[in-house]
Amino acid sequence: MMRAVPPSLRNVGLVVCAWVLLLTPSLPARGQTAPARDDIVSQLSQFDTAPDLDIAALKQQVLERSRSRSRNEPPPEKRPPIAPDLLKLPTFSVAITFDTDTPVVRPESYQAVGRIADALVQASLLPYSFLIVGHMETTGRRENNAMLSQRRADAIRDALVNTFKISSKRIQSLGLGEEQFVDPAHPTSPVNEQIQIVTIAKQSEQSEQPAAASPPPPAKKPAKKR
Amino acid sequence: MVRGGSILLILALTSPSLAAADTMSFGDASALLAKSCAAEISANCRGVSFDSNRLKECLSRNTDVLSPQCATDYLKSLDAIQKRIAARTTVANACGREIVKLCKGSTKETSKSIPCLTTTRGVSRNCIQAMDDAGYR
Repeated sequence: MMRAVPPSLRNVGLVVCAWVLLLTPSLPARGQTAPARDDIVSQLSQFDTAPDLDIAALKQQVLERSRSRSRNEPPPEKRPPIAPDLLKLPTFSVAITFDTDTPVVRPESYQAVGRIADALVQASLLPYSFLIVGHMETTGRRENNAMLSQRRADAIRDALVNTFKISSKRIQSLGLGEEQFVDPAHPTSPVNEQIQIVTIAKQSEQSEQPAAASPPPPAKKPAKKR
Repeated sequence: MVRGGSILLILALTSPSLAAADTMSFGDASALLAKSCAAEISANCRGVSFDSNRLKECLSRNTDVLSPQCATDYLKSLDAIQKRIAARTTVANACGREIVKLCKGSTKETSKSIPCLTTTRGVSRNCIQAMDDAGYR
């Protein structure tokens, strides 16, 4: 096939390739360098309305679906997203490198985690709470990927809470494994290993919840005494 | 006169940068740790994720095998992170008047008043400095 292409056309192809490379110099580097704080802030502050998210239920659904052995299972690229509500929310994707098959963040990604922490303490993001979402590409066992993505999302949440003292009330974590891809058209692409930060709520709404939920504990105490 | 005026102008233009944060950003502190200690962490702290306490514990246990650069920078970097976290509590003191009078907030819930403080005029220089140190601006 290659021989059939006239040399002149091949040159045109090369020139086009060269132009594309020249015009998009920042694209290949983006995945490797840590994101800028203000880019994260401007992306995640575009929050509109809070959806009704049940994170615990989603975790359960991911585990159950990753274990399903049904013969009617669609191929990876045709799996419906398990948490479609998340797709409508402000999202920032970050490439974080972990040790193979573990949730251990590698030093080359410390800066990226630090930048996420810088963004979350910045004034315009202080009113919001976030979900750290882990994903996996389709390599290895589907069930293991669900669990590993959860542990990796937990690891990022833990670093933000323990190392940078971001309030744990503001951050939850969810591993979607290969039940929802960053790039659904290419389930095997490493792009799917990215960690996503999603704005899920404005805290003024949330801060009222603990107040409303506080009456129950005193009611429980007498029950224990009996 | 013209010269004196231009010197004043230069001073006025550069003074905001003089008031920049005395603390290091989390991103920079984390980058310093990774740059100076990546090899040591990979070799000696297997299974330790990005947790300042555990990394400090692991690296201080291995001081005899750390490069001189890592030995000085890991404490510098981890202290910088602590300093920026500690700066949050000084905001309540430095911005007390502004939180109550300008933002109608409470110094017990400083973080709720920060979005107001960073966008309101008439905030004292001390308060701005405290917010910069905490990374709020």
